[in-house]
Amino acid sequence: MVNSLMEKDLVHNLKKIMGKKLTVTKSKERRIKIETIPENILEVATAIKKLGFDQVMSNGGTDYPDKNLFKLDYHIISVNTKKLRRTVLQLTTHISKDNPSIHTLSNIFPSASYHEQETHENLGIMFEGHPRMERLLLPEDWDDIPPLLKEFKLPGR
Amino acid sequence: MVDDKQETILENIHEDDSPTSVFVGKINEVLNTIVEKTVKEPTRYLVNWGRLYALWPVHVETACCSIEFGAASGPRYDLERFGILEAFGSLRQCDLLVVQGTVTRKMAPRLKWIYEQMPEPKWCVAMGACAISGGLYIDSYNVLQGIDKILPVDVYIPGCPPRPETLIQGLVELQHKIRKSHVR
Repeated sequence: MVNSLMEKDLVHNLKKIMGKKLTVTKSKERRIKIETIPENILEVATAIKKLGFDQVMSNGGTDYPDKNLFKLDYHIISVNTKKLRRTVLQLTTHISKDNPSIHTLSNIFPSASYHEQETHENLGIMFEGHPRMERLLLPEDWDDIPPLLKEFKLPGR
Repeated sequence: MVDDKQETILENIHEDDSPTSVFVGKINEVLNTIVEKTVKEPTRYLVNWGRLYALWPVHVETACCSIEFGAASGPRYDLERFGILEAFGSLRQCDLLVVQGTVTRKMAPRLKWIYEQMPEPKWCVAMGACAISGGLYIDSYNVLQGIDKILPVDVYIPGCPPRPETLIQGLVELQHKIRKSHVR
């Protein structure tokens, strides 16, 4: 009960700060979903950090070939703020596949650095301003398209 | 009536300068068989016998099958009573490479380097479904579909993962293979 009240307060605060720059939905308890456009992602991330969320738990993307879109998700949690400890905030944005680039969040959340590097090599999304936008886990001699794209042909099929 | 085969043999004898060379050739053959049976065969047996009860596995673990390999070296299953030592020591002393599980595309060249650094004679065992064919990850972009694409495999041990008993049986089969192998 206390938690849900606190979350309502949080959502209210976010809406008050950012206005029409984002849409907030709550799918279930302890989970806040925020959707924004790629141009506003820096401002939204800064506002989120001011609320107390300080750690990017994961960052991943999905390829939608029929819509010509990449969906990019950041899951952000709080380590230092005790009352937010069990809340997960999902920051979602959609990027066009024609020019897949977005500003990095690794200068706001340092823990996003490795996740963004992995998303870059698996989907081919460029994170502008990232300090090391290079190969992380794939083999050194990889010369194919990024492997998590839908048009990538799997070897066993 | 003399058929074609006999005719050619007769011609060969006729063309040869010394007819005694036929007998000399036979003596050579007999001598060779005597040397084979009395010297080479026991030597081969002795060398192979020395090799097969002192197999040193390489300490390289590519995936989760290594846990079963570790269990097989432990006190309950005790690989050492079959003459297969624990995985320790330098690569230059080892002669058995047990590939324990999934080999990713990034690991494959490193595994090949390890194999090339081992001294001769050396044997390679593919342990688990992933090392044999890719297993569960056969349609993955990043997993090698069987290590026999990069290494010469002597024994395949199936299972996901194989139990220590299966591993022991596979390694005993390898020992049978070594017992019959040629010595260079």
